Amino acid sequence: MAADTSAHPTSAPLRGRRWRAIHYHQLVVASLMALLLLPIAATLVYSLSSRWGATILPDGFSLGWYLQLWSEPRFLAAFARSLLVCAGTLVLAIVIVVPAAFVVFYYYPKLDRWMNLLILLPFAMPPVVSSVGLLSLYADGTLPIIGTPWVLLGCYFTIILPFLYRALANRLQSLDLHSLMEAAQLLGASAPRAFLCVVLPALRKSLFASLFLSFSFLMGEFVFANLLVGTRFETLQIYLYNMRSTSGHYTSAVVMSYFLITLILTWIATRFNR
Amino acid sequence: MSFFEIQNLSKQYAGRPVFRDLDLSIASGEFITLLGPSGCGKSTLLRCMAGLSRPDQGALFMAGEEITHLPPQKRGIGMVFQSYALFPNMTVQQNIAFGLRMQGLSLSKQHLAVKEIIELVELTGKELAMPDELSGGQKQRVALARALVVRPRLLLLDEPLSALDARIRRHLREQIRAIQQRLGLTTVFVTHDQEEALTLSDRIVLMHEGKIVQAGSAESLYTRPASRFAAQFIGQYNLLTAAEAQTLLGRTIAGQLAIRPESITLLPITDSQLTGRVLDHQLLGNVIRYRIDCRGIILKVDALNRDAATLLPAGHDIGLSVAEPELCEVA
Repeated sequence: MAADTSAHPTSAPLRGRRWRAIHYHQLVVASLMALLLLPIAATLVYSLSSRWGATILPDGFSLGWYLQLWSEPRFLAAFARSLLVCAGTLVLAIVIVVPAAFVVFYYYPKLDRWMNLLILLPFAMPPVVSSVGLLSLYADGTLPIIGTPWVLLGCYFTIILPFLYRALANRLQSLDLHSLMEAAQLLGASAPRAFLCVVLPALRKSLFASLFLSFSFLMGEFVFANLLVGTRFETLQIYLYNMRSTSGHYTSAVVMSYFLITLILTWIATRFNR
Repeated sequence: MSFFEIQNLSKQYAGRPVFRDLDLSIASGEFITLLGPSGCGKSTLLRCMAGLSRPDQGALFMAGEEITHLPPQKRGIGMVFQSYALFPNMTVQQNIAFGLRMQGLSLSKQHLAVKEIIELVELTGKELAMPDELSGGQKQRVALARALVVRPRLLLLDEPLSALDARIRRHLREQIRAIQQRLGLTTVFVTHDQEEALTLSDRIVLMHEGKIVQAGSAESLYTRPASRFAAQFIGQYNLLTAAEAQTLLGRTIAGQLAIRPESITLLPITDSQLTGRVLDHQLLGNVIRYRIDCRGIILKVDALNRDAATLLPAGHDIGLSVAEPELCEVA
């Protein structure tokens, strides 16, 4: 043993260091996963427990809270409203941002600089501040849309603009856009057809990736929804907020339902996008 | 009767002329190469022919019909780009079928035509591959097939081989020429590589600073350069001033004298009137290029590379003979 150590004087400490490095790495990953998963796991357990008060473990498990929730018309309506606003915003964003990004990169590449400034604006302004601005603009006057889903649609559009534009811009930059358009046109396609048949399919992956991100973000959005429409157009997050004084088991079931549905929708869309 | 006619064509970018008052006729079935250094206007000329750039002045005619203002999709011209420009989200088959799809051809007809062209460019088995799974040479063959499958009236090739390595470049070069001859397709090839131009073309159009400086067969361009630029660009000519020509050969000339390195023969010192001293040499494969100091003039001289024993070391004195009929006076 002693002879072995003298032959390879650094091997044992080196092995020790490597072992420690591997375990440190695993420890960091495990802690991070625990930190992220623990609240979800706790919410899940709480939503499945019939009663969990003064004891360490729940008194019993049941699906009662979920059954109650999914037979509640107010919840279902709020959920449908959230889906509608999110889907509407995404459609609006696709219709406006995709052609805009293409026009910027194909016809006016110098505009990209200004677009990058423009898309920073929604981030630069805290939601509470911008909602005050929106309230004073749209509360009355020529376009009194406060309290209607339309203001939410417009506002959400500005929030997801940076995600969408950046993702598309990165892809458009990596494509040899001019050669692709020219090749398509020389093969008989008009400019709009070349865009639809060649450029748009090439943007599909980055477009979908940014749409998933936007969708998850918008489903969980509360500040704008609360300040701009409140109970007049009760979305899922507003419903959750309004239910805060009822049973914690019930609100946990709301959170878990929302979480699982977002997860499932994103998973389906990811598979579809492959 | 020319098939494609360029008349008095001018184009400028940001106030700087790219080319001015160009005239060129291309015969049907001809393989013509636009040769010149970067920035000489050859690619812009090609883009004007394709309809991708609008000329400022002049006219373009194809088969007797004016096409100057016709959009690219209505010209019936096929083009292969240096960057391949393959559609990244489509398979090889879909890329090639794109033009046929735009023509509204039935799926069965598309399939037949694609199959035929894939065999022609030797890509059988790669039909379902995506462009990023292909090598550079394969990508360029897909691009060629995509341009050929729509049976263009004119094929334009914009430096299609310059991004490929030497061996593939040679192979593809031969393939392009063979396909062009088999289909009898009028073709315009743009390159800055003189070897490519010399091996491929029926006719070479040499361009410099937006002008056509010389046009003719590969043979005539190589052996009879019309200008100093042509002599330097096409061959590796030794260019002698009038004074140097007088010193070396006792000839009185007005302009400059161009001597090809292979027009000078190395001889035993006793057999020749001209002598020189070897400065160094460069191995170019089957040829050795010597730099020889002869009466204070540095000459490039090519000799066949037979074996290592015949290699002349630096400092060696050698006799020279210049083939007088091969000398060329340039302006």
